[in-house]
Parts: sequence; C-alpha cells; structure tokens
Amino acid sequence: MKNLNTLLAGVFLAVALPFGALVLSGQSQLGGLGRAAGEEGGALFPSREPGLAIQGRAVYVSLGCVSCHTQQVRPAGQGSDIARGLGVRPSVARDYSLQPQVLLGERRLGPDLANYGARTSQINVETLLTDPASSGAVWHPSYRFVDAAQRTALVAYLKSLRQDYPSPEAKLKK
Amino acid sequence: MTQDNRSGRPQGRPPEGDGRVSRVEASLRGPFLLFFVSAVVWLLAASVLGVIGALDLGASVGVLRDCAWFTPGRIATAQQDLFVYGWGFNAFFALNLWLLSQLGRFEFRNGWLAQLGGVAWNLALTYGVARVFAGDMTGYRLLDFPREVGPVLAAAFLLAGFWPIVAFARRPSGHTFASQWFVVGASFAFPLVYLLAQLLVLWQPASGVVQAIAHSWFVANLLQLWFGASALAAIYYFLPKVLERTLTGYYLAPVAFWTFFLFAGWTGPAALVGSPVPLWLQSTGVVAAAMMLIPVIIVAINVLGTLSSQGGWARAWNDTTLRFVSFGAVAFTLAGVLGGVFAFRSMSAVVRFTSFATGLEQLLVYGCASMVVFGASYFILPRLTGALWPSAKLVHVHFWATALGFLAALVAWLVGGWQNGQLLANPAVAYADVLRAGSSWCLVLMISAVLVLVGHVAFALNAFGMILKSSAPADSGRHD
Repeated sequence: MKNLNTLLAGVFLAVALPFGALVLSGQSQLGGLGRAAGEEGGALFPSREPGLAIQGRAVYVSLGCVSCHTQQVRPAGQGSDIARGLGVRPSVARDYSLQPQVLLGERRLGPDLANYGARTSQINVETLLTDPASSGAVWHPSYRFVDAAQRTALVAYLKSLRQDYPSPEAKLKK
Repeated sequence: MTQDNRSGRPQGRPPEGDGRVSRVEASLRGPFLLFFVSAVVWLLAASVLGVIGALDLGASVGVLRDCAWFTPGRIATAQQDLFVYGWGFNAFFALNLWLLSQLGRFEFRNGWLAQLGGVAWNLALTYGVARVFAGDMTGYRLLDFPREVGPVLAAAFLLAGFWPIVAFARRPSGHTFASQWFVVGASFAFPLVYLLAQLLVLWQPASGVVQAIAHSWFVANLLQLWFGASALAAIYYFLPKVLERTLTGYYLAPVAFWTFFLFAGWTGPAALVGSPVPLWLQSTGVVAAAMMLIPVIIVAINVLGTLSSQGGWARAWNDTTLRFVSFGAVAFTLAGVLGGVFAFRSMSAVVRFTSFATGLEQLLVYGCASMVVFGASYFILPRLTGALWPSAKLVHVHFWATALGFLAALVAWLVGGWQNGQLLANPAVAYADVLRAGSSWCLVLMISAVLVLVGHVAFALNAFGMILKSSAPADSGRHD
C-alpha cells in the first residue's frame, strides 16, 4: 500500500476488468444482432424507423421524457409488465439493435412505452400531449408549448414504438 | 482541539493563541476556497431546483408546466447534474486535496493550475446545464450534457482533481493511511471511467442495449468510486483524528479498500435486472452488489466499532464535525446493506422502476458523501481561514434541517417506492390508482426539499460569512 505504482495498477485493473468483462464482452455478444424473422419465412423485425420517428426521438430526448418513462417490458416473474398489458412479450436485445440511441429508462412515473404504439391511437397521443387532464392523465405534464412540427414528429415516434412482433428470442403466444 | 463542544461551536479551529495557519494549509487556501465556494453555490442552485422539481411533481404548478425550460425532465436532469458535478465534484476536489496535502505534508506550489482546472470545470458545467435547460441533452442520466462538454470536463478534472495523487507521490514518509488509498483510487479511477463511458455512450455509441450496459457500468463507478471512495477517505481521517483514537480493527482496512474497488465496478448491471440484456450480466451485477457487503462490513467494524466503544457516539454527537461524519458513516453502511439485499431478483422485481433506487442512491451521495463533506468543512475552514464560524445557531439549523429533511425524503423514497412496487406488481390495481396512492409521498418530498434548502442556506450563510471575515494572510504561515 506504500507503492504508488502498485496502487494505481490495482485501481486500473479494478476499472478495466469489469469494463472488459461487462461492456466489451456485452458488445461482442450483442453487437452482431440485427433484423431477423421470428418465424420461418416471416417478415424481418425490428422495422426500420421512419424519418419522422427519428426526428420525434430527438424531441422525446429534448423534453426529458426518459426521466419518467421506461421502454422495456420485463419477463413474467420479474414484475407484472405483461400481465398489465404493457407488452405482449418481454423485450429482447434484438428489439433495440437498430436504434442509434437506446432509451431504456430507469424510472416509471408514467407507464412503459416499449409497446406504446401498439396499444394507443394517434388521437390519444395528441390529446395526452396537449390536454392531458381530458384524457384522464392528470399527472402528465402538458406540452402545449411544443410546436406543431415537433408534436407531429413526437407522435410519429411514440406510434413507432412497437414490440408486438415475434422475435427469435421471444415468440408470441398463440 | 477536541474538547467538549456543548455550545454547538464547531471544532477544528487552530490551537488557542495561534491564529496563523500552517504553511501546508496556506498553500491550499486559494484552490480550496475556489472549489468550496463553487461547490456551495452549485449546491444552493441544485437545492432550489430540487424544490421547484418537488413542487412541479407534487403540486402540478401550472406556470412551470407550460414553460419549455421547466419540463419535469429538464428540471430533474439539471438538478441532478448540478448536484453531482457542481456540488459533489467541487466539494471533493477541495476535500481530497486538503486531506492528501495534510497527510503527505504537501506544499501546493502550482495552485494556479488547480484553479484553472476549477474554472474550466465550472464553465463547462454552466454551459452543459444551460444546454440541458434548452433541451440539448443526451438522455443518459449523469452523461446528459452534449458530448462536446465531456472532453472539457475530463481535461478540467486532470487539472483540478489529480493533485492528490501528486501529493501522495511526494509524501516524505513511507507510511500511508487508508484515507490516502481511497483518495488516490478515486482520483485515478474517475477520469478513466468517464472517458470510457463518453466514448462508448456518446462518441462511438455501442450497439443497441450495450449502451445501457455501458451506462449502468458508468453510473455505478461514478457513485461508488468517486462519491463512495472519497467519502470513506474522509471518514477514515476525521474519526480517529477528532476522537484521538486508533480505529477498531484498522488492520482490516486494506481488505476494505481492495474489496471495495474490486467489486464496485461490477455492480452496474444490478440496475438492469429484468432488462433486455444477457442474464449472465444481470447475475454478475447481483453477485457483485452482494459481495460489496464485505467492504461495507469491514468499514462498519472500523468506523461504527470505534464509535461504539469508549463513549464514541456521545463524543461524536457533541462534536459538529463528527456528528455529520458519523451520520455519513451510518448512511454508508445502510446504503451498502440495502444495495446488497435489494439487488436480488425477487426484491428487484418489486422495487425496480420505483423511487426506491433513488433512495438508495441518495443514501450514498447525500446521506453519506454530502454529510461527510459538511462535517469536514466545519473542521477545515477554520484552519484555512484562521477564523471561527460566525453562528452556532446556523450550525444547528444546518444539521437539523438537512438531517431531518433527508431522513423524511429517504422514508418517502424507500417506503413509498416499496409500496408503489407492490401495487404495480398486482395487475388488478389500475395504474391511476397506483399513482394516486403514491401522491401522498409527494407532500413529504416537497417538505423535505424545503427543509434541505433551508439547511443549505444556513450552511452557505455561515461559510460565506466566515470566508468574507477571514483576515488570515495566505503568506504568513508557520512551519509545522
């Protein structure tokens, strides 16, 4: 403990080993994931994001929505996400493989949005943003100040959030 | 120096009849005061935002909710960044530098470099927070600033936060103390962790959910290896120093140090239990969080064991510095134990996504680290300025307002989070009912935010009053 070099080498290893084992091996295991068919001959998922949805993600990040909303459905036995109807199957790593910015989130002051596009309508989303009280979401902030173009992009992004397709790692229950 | 202090007058002032500060401390005065004053200013700003955030969340303040700059997400992000990077880093720049200079009898001849780093750090932080309010943020908690801010913060850290390692390298004697190991570890680990996280999350983003893995790794390292390690360094210094006793089982301290650094870096994925990441990663995080009980227990033996013998608690209660530091030591133990227990899958399934995680995090960064910094300030500032704290009443207000405010918030986060999680686990309970049930805790959080702000204002008034009144010339030091 008296030698600075020993101390620094030990601390370096304490930082580098978990980084290598967790992050780099995670990248090695998951980095090659891409679109795949959940069933033989089926369509490839996840879908590519429309351009408007990409703009909408920037609005989502800019407003700080990720502070209150998650985008991940946990498997049965690890919370009641599926029983609550937040999703039809658990989220898997492949669902996020095309997303340039993964916004899993850490806190649910509002409901999870991983499969939000599949369980809501465009009108519902717009009402929620402009007049949340009338849609029953009294705790949701109003985003009336967001201009029409940004709101359209945000709605497109939220509508694009879907995990209701089969994936090789998570089949849909018939 | 450690006589009873029943009047509440803070300890740590220079011996009677000697108003001058030591040469080591005189050389630190400029950089220390820059870091300290910056830290307190940021703390006040974060506290005001904390009150606004609590009001916004609990009372649905209409005026704020219609303003783009004050969306709940932006307020929460700015508040957290100001607290962590403004208060937490500036405070530990000051404290770590002072600690290792004292222990290594290091005369700081290049203070201007540290001050330059401090100015750069605070300017980058100001720019980053302004961008957050303008909506230019990344969406990754504690890496929220636009990516151009990261390299500036890293460079500023090397100028401002690397000096403790220099002080360690230049110490005259071979003997070392636990405080030195923890500070050297914290000062060396943070820039590595920060740069790697910047690279893989913002500059060359990893694929898909690997970003979330890298982010969880970063957050765990930031909290444990910067806040946790720096706070432990101060605890290991002030407890034996003020009590004038050796620590119980001090021979175990090296084990605490190495196990703390060995396991802390692996705990990140414990925050991803149930997430779409490989199970082996989640399990590694859970095991590491449980293994963290080893250093936590050793620290408890060292620190709480010492306090529990020879009337240590009573002496700690009657000494301002030790009162805060002991509070921090208990909070560290509690954070470690709860963090280990609630990392397990069955527990995580209930509390995940609730305020429980916030409670655990605040237990470490506020209950432990911030309270330790407060206690250390009461010891160090009189020595650096050669003056006494102007008001004992403000010291009492500071302690009681922050301690009670924090404890109230902690109960709201932990108990409220647990209740919230249990309701969420029952699919028969509608989501609106879950939110309604949790709204009563919002009132507690509002009151606690105001209390904490009052405590911080009292601390700032006292500290700034003392610094302004200080007349100790920086160049009239005595030899130690």
